[in-house]
Amino acid sequence: MRLDEIQRGGFFQVKNLDCCNECVQRLMSMGLLPDQEIRLVHEAPLGDPIAVEFNGCQISLRLRDAAHVEVEAIR
Amino acid sequence: MSEALRPPLRIALIGNPNTGKTSLFNTLTGLRQRVGNYSGVTVEKKTGIWQMPQSGQEVELIDLPGTYSLSANSLDERVAVDVMTGHGLAGRAPDLVVVVVDVENLRRNLFLASQASELGVPMVIALNCWDVAEKKGLQIDSKLLAQRLGVPVVPTVAKRKSGTIDLGKAVEQALHTKPLMARPQWPKAVQTALKSLRDALVETHGESLRDGELQRLLFDRNSAVRDRLQSPSATHDPIIRAAREQLYKDGFQPDAAESTLRYRFLNPLLNDVLERQALMKKRSTSESIDQLLLHKFWGLLVFVGMMYVVFQSVYSWAGPAMDLIEGVVGWLQGIAAGALVGTPMLQSLVVDGIIGGVGAFLVFLPQILVLFFFIALLEATGYMARAAFLMDKCFQWCGLNGKSFVPLLTSFACAIPGIMATRTINDNKARLITILVAPLMSCSARLPVYLLLIGAFIEPVYGPSVAGTALFAMHFVGALVAAPLAWLLHRSIDKGRAPMPFVMELPRYRVPQLKLVLLRMYESGKEFVVRAGTVIFAMTIVIWALLYFPRPESIAADTRTQFISQITEGRLSSQEGKASLDESQQAELDAQIAARYLEQSYMGRFGKMVQPIFAPAGYDWKITVGVLASFPAREIIISTLGIIYALGDEVDENSSDLRTTLSNAKWDAGPRQGEPVFNIPVALSIMIFFALCMQCGATLAVIAKELNGWWSAGSFCALTLLAWVAAVAVYQIGMLF
Repeated sequence: MRLDEIQRGGFFQVKNLDCCNECVQRLMSMGLLPDQEIRLVHEAPLGDPIAVEFNGCQISLRLRDAAHVEVEAIR
Repeated sequence: MSEALRPPLRIALIGNPNTGKTSLFNTLTGLRQRVGNYSGVTVEKKTGIWQMPQSGQEVELIDLPGTYSLSANSLDERVAVDVMTGHGLAGRAPDLVVVVVDVENLRRNLFLASQASELGVPMVIALNCWDVAEKKGLQIDSKLLAQRLGVPVVPTVAKRKSGTIDLGKAVEQALHTKPLMARPQWPKAVQTALKSLRDALVETHGESLRDGELQRLLFDRNSAVRDRLQSPSATHDPIIRAAREQLYKDGFQPDAAESTLRYRFLNPLLNDVLERQALMKKRSTSESIDQLLLHKFWGLLVFVGMMYVVFQSVYSWAGPAMDLIEGVVGWLQGIAAGALVGTPMLQSLVVDGIIGGVGAFLVFLPQILVLFFFIALLEATGYMARAAFLMDKCFQWCGLNGKSFVPLLTSFACAIPGIMATRTINDNKARLITILVAPLMSCSARLPVYLLLIGAFIEPVYGPSVAGTALFAMHFVGALVAAPLAWLLHRSIDKGRAPMPFVMELPRYRVPQLKLVLLRMYESGKEFVVRAGTVIFAMTIVIWALLYFPRPESIAADTRTQFISQITEGRLSSQEGKASLDESQQAELDAQIAARYLEQSYMGRFGKMVQPIFAPAGYDWKITVGVLASFPAREIIISTLGIIYALGDEVDENSSDLRTTLSNAKWDAGPRQGEPVFNIPVALSIMIFFALCMQCGATLAVIAKELNGWWSAGSFCALTLLAWVAAVAVYQIGMLF
C-alpha cells in the first residue's frame, strides 16, 4: 500500500521509501524512516494535499509525493 | 551597537521552524536588534545585542532562518548553512551556536543539532516550550540528555523569560569551555568516502573545508557548500560524484544515508530521556480545531470569511489614519510653501516634488500596517500554514504552491513586502513565478485611480451599487490575468525540471503574543518606509523635474496677457496689464499658466509625441502624460491629471472638481475636436491599464534585487505591453456599444 492511498482512522507503518524523490529526502530528515508509525490526519478540500502525523508532528505533502512512500496497515 | 576594538563574540541561534526561536531571540535581545541582509542574498539577517547575565558582556546574537536540516533547499536554509560555515559572516564562523529545540519534537530537532555539531562550533541546547510539554505530561530528563550529548541543555520558556537567565549563564560558561556535541561514529564506507573527498578537495585543490562541510557535499545532491568551493564545478563535480558512487557501491544510498545513520545514532541517546504517553492514540487540541478549520466545506467557509475580514479591515481601519497622513502632508506643504515663497523653483521642488511625492506614497503605510498586523497574527497562531494547505491545490496547476498564498495576499496591499515575503518559498521556480505575478495583485496604490474614475463616470450613470461592484471587480482583474500568466511561465521556464516538493509542517495552534505581533508589524512598516521610500524619493524628484522644466518666463507673461485680454474682451478699459483680477480670476489664471508650462515641459512634449501609441486606447495627450508620469508610482496620476487639467495640484481622488473637470474635458485638437475626452470605455480602458501595468519604480527595484535586473526589465516590458493590449481591447470593444 502507498501513503497516498491510506484512509483516515487507520494506523500504518512505513515499509519502504524511494529516497531518490526529493520530498522523501526531506521527510526522512524529519524522521520518516522505515518502521515509523504514521497516520492520515487531514485531507485538503480537493483531496490533495494531505496531512500525515508521525513522530508527534503533522506534515502536509502532496499525493504525488506521498506515492513514493510504501506503508502497511498495523491496526 | 558597541564598536569595540576586539570584534564582539558572535552567537548563532538555530532551530527548526515553529520552535519559538524568534520569540526567544526577542526575549533575549529586547528591542536592541536590527534587520539587515546577508551579502549576496536577500534573506533577512536579524542580529541583536544580548547582555550576558553574569559578566555583563555584550555579545552579538544572530537569528538564523528556521530550518529542518542543513541540506539547504530553500534560500533561507542556505543562509543558515552559510552562517554556520562562516561564509555568511565575512569568513568568521560563530563562536557558539544555541540550538533551539522544541521539546515535543525532540528527536527531529536534535537531528539538526547533530548536523550542526559536525561543523565544530561549540554548542548549547535550549529546550524550548518547556511549559507546553509539562502540561502535556511530557517529562524530559535534561541532565541526562546533557550528559549524553556532551553539551549544556537548558529548559526555557521563551515567552516568560523563565530560563533565559539560566541560558545566559550556560552560554557564558560554554564560551570558555567550548563544549562540542557528541558526533556519530560513521561506518567505514562513509569514512572512506569522506576521506576521498578530503584528499581530493582539501589536499589537492586547497579548499578549506571542515568535516561537516565535506559531509554536506557527500550527502546532499545540491548543497549550498558547493557554491562556496573555490575550484570550478568542472573540477569538483566529478570528485563529488565519484565519492557518492563509491558510497553507493559500499551499500549506502547517499540520499538516504545521513537520515538513516544519524537517527540510528540519536535514538539510543534519547532512551529514558523522554517519557511520553502514546501520542498516536490521543487527538490533540490542534487536531480537533483542524477538524473544523481544514474541513472540506466549513474550513473553506472560515477561510473565505477570514480573508473578507482582513480586506475589509485593510480598507476601513486604515481610512482615518490615511486621512490624517494626507492632512499632515497638506499642512507641511502649506508651511513649506509659505517658507519658500521667495524661491519658486525650490518651493515647487519641495512642495510638489518631495513632500507631495513621498507623501502620496506614505499614505499607504496604514494599510500596510493593518495587513501586516493580520498576517503576523495569523502566522503566530499557526493558521497561515493551514491557509497554504487549503489553497495548495488551487495554485498547483500553474506551478505555484500553497506558500505563494501569503506573498500574493500581501501584494494586495503592496507588492514590495509581498515580493520580499517570497523568500520562504523553497521551490525556486515557484518563487520566481510568484514574484513575477505579484505586481498584478491589485495594490492599494491603484485604489485612488479606481475611485476617481468609477466615481466620475460609472457612479453617475449606473448608480452606487454598480460602482461598488465595479470597484470589487477591478480588484480581481489582475488576479484573473495572473493565473494564466503564471501557467504560461510555468510552462515556458525550465520545462524539464520537476517541481520541488511541497512539504510543510502544520504547527500546533498557539495563542499569539500581542507584543511579537506588534513588533513584526513595526518591522514591516519600517522596512517599507526605508527601502521603498528611498526609491520613491529619487523617482519623484526626477518626475517633478521633467514636469517642471524647461520654464521660460515668457510663457507666464504671454498667458497673462492673453487671459486679461480675454476677460476684458470688448471692453476698452483694460487699465493696462495690471488689471485688478479678483481672487477666482487670479486662481484661474494661475491654473492656466501651470497648464501651459506643463504642456511644453519635457514630459508634456514627450506625452504629445507618444500620444499616437495610446490613441487606439482613446487617450489624448493629457491622459498620456498622466500615464507616463505615473510609471514611477501609480498614484502620481491623480496629481498629474490635476495639474494637467489645470486645477492646480491640490486635488485628491474625492475632489469633485477633478471629477467634473474630467467629465467636461474635450479634445483640443484632431479629428474629434470638441468631443468629450472621457467616456465609459476610456475610463474602463484607463483602469484596465492601471490594473495590469507595472507602474511602480519601487517594485521594479525590489524585483531587480530579489531576482536580477533582466527579470525586472523583462517583467516591466511584458506587463506594459499586456496592459496596452488590454486597454486598447477594452476601449475598442467598448466603443462598439
